[in-house]
Amino acid sequence: MKRRQGWLFFIVFLLTLSFYLLINYPLQLGLDLQGGSQLTLQIIKEEGKVTRDELEAVNSVIDKRVNNLGVSESNLQTLGGDQLILELPGEQNPLVASRVLGKTALLEFRTQKEGTSSDLKTLQQQRLIIKELIEQYSSGEKIQYDDNLLKVIQDDLKEIVQELNYSSTSNDLYGKLIEIKKYVDKEITNLFIKTDLSGKDLINAGRRQEQTNSNWEVLLTFSNSGGEKFAEITKSIAGTNQLLAIILDGESISEASVGNQFAQTGITGGSATISGNFSAENARELEVQLKGGSLPLPIEIVETNTIGALLGSKNIFKSLYAAISGLIFVGIFMIFNYRILGFVSVLSLVLYGFFNLALYSLIPVTLTLPGISGLILSIGMAVDANILIFERIREELYDGNTLTRSIDSGFQRANSSIVDGHITTLLSCFVLFLLGTNFVKGFAATLGIGVLISLFTSLNCSKTILRFFTTYQSLRQKNLYLPRNNFSN
Amino acid sequence: MKYNIELIKNKKKIIGFSIVLILLSILGILYSTFNTSYKKPINLGMDFVGGNELRIERVCEAECSNLSPDSVLENLREISKNKKVLNNLKLQFQDNYKLISIRTPYLSIEESNNLISNLDNIVGPLNYESKDSRLIGPKLGKRLLTNCVTSLLVSLFAISLYITIRFDKKYALFALLALFHDLLIVFGIFSWLGIIFSVEVNSLFAVSLLTIAGYSVNDTVVIFDRIRENFKSKNEGYNEIIQLSVNESFRRTTFTSITTLIPLLSIILFGSYSLFWFSLALSLGIIVGSYSSILLAPSLLLKD
Repeated sequence: MKRRQGWLFFIVFLLTLSFYLLINYPLQLGLDLQGGSQLTLQIIKEEGKVTRDELEAVNSVIDKRVNNLGVSESNLQTLGGDQLILELPGEQNPLVASRVLGKTALLEFRTQKEGTSSDLKTLQQQRLIIKELIEQYSSGEKIQYDDNLLKVIQDDLKEIVQELNYSSTSNDLYGKLIEIKKYVDKEITNLFIKTDLSGKDLINAGRRQEQTNSNWEVLLTFSNSGGEKFAEITKSIAGTNQLLAIILDGESISEASVGNQFAQTGITGGSATISGNFSAENARELEVQLKGGSLPLPIEIVETNTIGALLGSKNIFKSLYAAISGLIFVGIFMIFNYRILGFVSVLSLVLYGFFNLALYSLIPVTLTLPGISGLILSIGMAVDANILIFERIREELYDGNTLTRSIDSGFQRANSSIVDGHITTLLSCFVLFLLGTNFVKGFAATLGIGVLISLFTSLNCSKTILRFFTTYQSLRQKNLYLPRNNFSN
Repeated sequence: MKYNIELIKNKKKIIGFSIVLILLSILGILYSTFNTSYKKPINLGMDFVGGNELRIERVCEAECSNLSPDSVLENLREISKNKKVLNNLKLQFQDNYKLISIRTPYLSIEESNNLISNLDNIVGPLNYESKDSRLIGPKLGKRLLTNCVTSLLVSLFAISLYITIRFDKKYALFALLALFHDLLIVFGIFSWLGIIFSVEVNSLFAVSLLTIAGYSVNDTVVIFDRIRENFKSKNEGYNEIIQLSVNESFRRTTFTSITTLIPLLSIILFGSYSLFWFSLALSLGIIVGSYSSILLAPSLLLKD
């Protein structure tokens, strides 16, 4: 009996501790409960697996970009070996984040090959036309074209453009336009020769509004060696027909000539500007990308979930309803069938609930909808252990054993079935947690924790509470432990 | 209250009933694979094939005006540019025209935002706080599918291994037969639901299958434990002991199922819609699981 009293104090202590934890470390709610957006970024690697170093490198670049974007309370974590998950709580639009994060942002400086001026002119005109077509398409206008446009377009493009015009209901219209644009971009890039100056030589990037019009330009600041390289490159083409191209992710965003006055020293001072008709937003995005550096491997945004804040709070209430009504009905069922024993199981269920929540705030486990359903489901499983024990106690009582003896052997004999049953469920949870997605992990975590805690509450807490009850003479009548219609059996 | 389930007498009926259920499930799976538009054993949802799912509420004064999905689609077609998406767009009104739910093939965030703002022009104003939008790329979908299938196989293997170590070969075999019986039937039911009501399965369905697996084995283990115990302590015929054990554990098994079904039912009734099919699958699994633990698995143990 002394030992049992010790357990009772221990349980009260745990309960107090749970309250303390819950008050001081509030539960973390997932995005489906508080509203927000979640982006899953997939690292793309053609051959082989993404190594740990590569994952780290991508992670740090993305992290820098997210910070420079100035989104508040964002959370970035890796998932598996080749995915990253970015959470943006609240009503922040994932659009900007997706645009900024998705780009590799590989910056190159290239000089034009000699004698390619006329080729470049044709291509630049083609690019202009394609851009216009894409813009028209995006704004929903019917694509206009006249024969003058065709004159400047080479034969291989002519065919495609004609098709665009005559079958504008074609599903792949937009895709084709993008294809053509890529083709033209590649052709332009091919007219330039790589230099050893790249995005790696930048130490900072900024933006400002151009003085002559409302467009924005992006400022680049080179490191010392970068500045020297830039001077060297500009010197080599100063005063010639060759242009300097700034190429971002294979697309030339600026082609500029270097004036004759730089022929002696090149452009010194360690900085450059890109003025390519940027809008304020575009300039900011490029600035953020350049500041964060280029991604060592390209990434793709493979999943976006957005949940409004109102829907989130609705989800909380719905889950609360479900959990509480589930608990109440299970409680009624248990008390109806097992009377005092049922009451004991209700008490240990309440303990079970608090211990679970306290562990969530301690570990911490972020509560999500599947997580809550795991918790609610584990209520049923926690009661299962109690039912096994109570049935045994009942049988012992029918066999004419004393109450104390029945209780003891009931707990003892149900032990092995309970442990067996819990282990199979734990196995499932373990596999789910290891292999599952983020969404599934929440369920596996809460169900697994629930199953573990229920081992403690249903074996230990129920037993302690029951022992405590039986110390009162008035609660020691056998018929309080058996359903009314049964005890004549 | 003593229970008296005549297991020995009804052995053939029980096994026959299970065989019919299994055949029906296999029929559904085959039908779904070869005959409908899915060409898959079960109607895979956007978690596995990728796509865009949007639910958003309209802001209405007292009641929302009636709208026909067709006219909204017509309007969307007029102002939208991405024809490819519009041709495959499914639009539904729910909750007295308050809630709009839309399914399309995969969209970028930008395209999805455009779609929403176009929608706002037609049926708005929309309550952006109530938005629920999911965009899943086809690549991720494929990956999720392999992921789910692997988890299922690995965990079934782990459970089988545990049971084989823990029990005699015969017991283990029948416990596992009951387990696969349960999973197959739940899978079959969802194949039929997919064929008849276009119900889709998502990654939570795989989770429910795994949970059912753990649960079903748990139930069977309890009864088999009882049988083992009674073989040691009671001196009766082989078949009689099995029947007795089943009757002795009947209350426990049904009660446990009920206490697990109650919370699931409250999720179905009060919980978020995203958990509806998940809870339903679990409930079905628990019902089938109790049946197979109480009646099927012990019947298989009986000697002729």
